[in-house]
Amino acid sequence: MHISEGVLSAPVLVTGALLTLGGTALGLKKMDYEKIPEVAVLSSAFFVASLIRVPIGPSSVHLVLNGLVGVLLGWMAFPSILVALALQALLFQFGGFTSLGVNTFNMAAPAVIAYYLFNFLIRKTNHFISMLAGFGAGLTGVGLGALLVAIALVSTGESFLNVSKILVVAHLPVMVIEGIIISFSVVFLKKVKPEILEEVGKR
Amino acid sequence: MRAKFRYFVFYLLFTICCLSFVPLANAHKVNIYAYAEDGLVQSESYFVDGTKCKHSVLEVFDGRDGTKLLEGKTDEEGKFSFKIPKATSLKLVLHASMGHQAEFTLAEDEVRKAMSIKSRKSEVKSQRPNPPLPPFTFASANPPECGKGGRGGITQELRTSNTEIDATIERVLDKKLQPIMRILIKQQESSGKPGFTEIIGGIGYIIGLLGIVAYFKAKRIKTN
Repeated sequence: MHISEGVLSAPVLVTGALLTLGGTALGLKKMDYEKIPEVAVLSSAFFVASLIRVPIGPSSVHLVLNGLVGVLLGWMAFPSILVALALQALLFQFGGFTSLGVNTFNMAAPAVIAYYLFNFLIRKTNHFISMLAGFGAGLTGVGLGALLVAIALVSTGESFLNVSKILVVAHLPVMVIEGIIISFSVVFLKKVKPEILEEVGKR
Repeated sequence: MRAKFRYFVFYLLFTICCLSFVPLANAHKVNIYAYAEDGLVQSESYFVDGTKCKHSVLEVFDGRDGTKLLEGKTDEEGKFSFKIPKATSLKLVLHASMGHQAEFTLAEDEVRKAMSIKSRKSEVKSQRPNPPLPPFTFASANPPECGKGGRGGITQELRTSNTEIDATIERVLDKKLQPIMRILIKQQESSGKPGFTEIIGGIGYIIGLLGIVAYFKAKRIKTN
């Protein structure tokens, strides 16, 4: 879901960059000392996840893991994903530097939404509810991400319904796989290190 | 302390797990490659992992003034070929789905060369509808023949055979070079794939950034 360089028009690029700038500033402000390693590790995970291809479905797509980043980091998903995407653009030539702002927003905004929707559910004592919430976070992260990409692409003249259909259908397997990954991850984290799931900034 | 340690071990394992997938890893960056030949431009488009870009829109622009010359769709193999529309450098822009885009510029002299080859070949064909095989061996094998035709005949014969030789060489070279071209394309495909070095390098960058952020935050904690 990386939008390449030269696809989007200037207003879209600038809007994306500004939104990302705001989100990143907020995320950096919320980042306290103990959270730094976590942000870095999730950044690495996001960075590598894009290399994992999911060969199921109409076109091959890759893992995103923005739901996981969001559920664990909240607003700090913005700096985390920004760093990962910048390095992907630099080292893998995925996306591009002009579209970095838009790409970051497309991935990080659903992550933040997933945090507000599911983090409190994951913290419930019932493991089954946590798993379901984790699954929901996976669906939300990838699904909303695909929708945001579609919205960004509308400005290039493609019809929204068409693009979003292609994107969402292509990412259905990814949504399910990430849902499963995240649901197991959160249960594991709850057993091993429950503090990690605490509400951000309330420690 | 023990819990902290466990937490780091878990994350280490998590990252390693992600890394272990890397050999199967492939992702999305599109490439386009094109060459001109016999008055046609042949183009191939593929994602980094080697999957072809099927049914993707490909636009061709004039490389100099940027006007759009034509547009087409790639076939099942990710290939698209078209007649050279103009003797200028051509910019091919591929629009793969989901916001992927790539371009390739074909140099002007390559385009011109491909066009002139075509015209020369058709010339030869029109001069001799069914050219006999290597005219040179024919001439050298039967020297008396040349004598009959006289001096002018020989030069005439040599001149036409020269153009024919040219055409034959072109044809043979095209045939011989095609596999090499294919190997080069393959190599280009694989060189675009992110390798282990890039992945480790990227994670290294992230760890470095962690260090920088931690450094500044730690300073603030101390001063507070």
